[in-house]
Amino acid sequence: MTKPTLVGDDASLSRTPWLLSLPVAMGYIPLGMVFGFLFVQAGGPWWLAIASSVVVYAGAAQFMMVPMLAAGLPLATIALATAVINLRHVFYGLSLLDRLPKPWSAKAYMVFGLTDETYSVLTTLPAHTSTQHMLAITALNQAWWVAGSAVGALIGARAQVQLVGLDFALGALFAVLAVEQWRSSSNSHALWTAMVSYALALWLVPQQALLVAIALSVAVGLWLQRVPKPSQTRAQSPTDKDIL
Amino acid sequence: MNNWGYVISAIAIMGLVTFGLRAAPFLAAKWLQQHTLVLRLGRFLPLAIMVLLTVHTLAGNAQSHTNGPWPELAAGCTVVVAQLWRKHALLSIVLGVFVYVAFRNQWVPLA
Repeated sequence: MTKPTLVGDDASLSRTPWLLSLPVAMGYIPLGMVFGFLFVQAGGPWWLAIASSVVVYAGAAQFMMVPMLAAGLPLATIALATAVINLRHVFYGLSLLDRLPKPWSAKAYMVFGLTDETYSVLTTLPAHTSTQHMLAITALNQAWWVAGSAVGALIGARAQVQLVGLDFALGALFAVLAVEQWRSSSNSHALWTAMVSYALALWLVPQQALLVAIALSVAVGLWLQRVPKPSQTRAQSPTDKDIL
Repeated sequence: MNNWGYVISAIAIMGLVTFGLRAAPFLAAKWLQQHTLVLRLGRFLPLAIMVLLTVHTLAGNAQSHTNGPWPELAAGCTVVVAQLWRKHALLSIVLGVFVYVAFRNQWVPLA
């Protein structure tokens, strides 16, 4: 398996956080703009679009919140949807348990900022990377996201465009992440598990298809992984890749 | 969206839920590191969940209008092929969104 190219061939300490954060910026600024734009077009004030990116900082959940808030859904429903969408983040910390800085404030911020992309960058860094560098990358990544949201919200507040379909950026982001996860996986068991789980869930419980499908996938995953295979023990982390 | 109190509450709750999920493994670090099954599950799940989120989001898009799953299929395939080929996330997303917007705004008429 080829090593990810996110940090180039020589991932030396001379690489600055700024450089490592740049590929994330190229994804976060335009995506953040789309979020800010959609939020304001749905009737929200521009400063709350920015507040969302500062306080929530979760791309998929923020895209999902726009139609939910516009529909005035109950807060409990929004909380549950957020939990379902971000459930995968429960597993991200597993790769970084020993690598975060000691001071609690820095550690808490890095845990807060552990998005898909930040996780990808941090887990691709060499083991001896300083915690200051890791903290700087985390903060820079969020800065791109907030800046993009602000620009998008300010454009959206003035524009009167009604261009349907811009929200496809979310589905496209998921598809890109899925392709990269698949590329770095040693097999396609998880892919087929997910497909069959979703088809079953959609058939049995169409109202809660995603939640039920995730539960089914976890069950199948536990069953498939119950015996350690020697070939899997030194496989690289499936999220160890260059996403953005 | 006009009720700021409601939107602010939702933002606060979403922030807390997200932070809680991201913090969970660090709170249970000692326990988790003793269970290799959990770690192996952690390697299995990301691909499954990404596939689920993709399919679910596209299915949701497809149900939001009358032209059915064709724009979603066309744009989804565009993203997957572009990403497999060029490994450039931004390019794949922009291409996919462009294809989708073109179909949804009838720039390309659907038969």
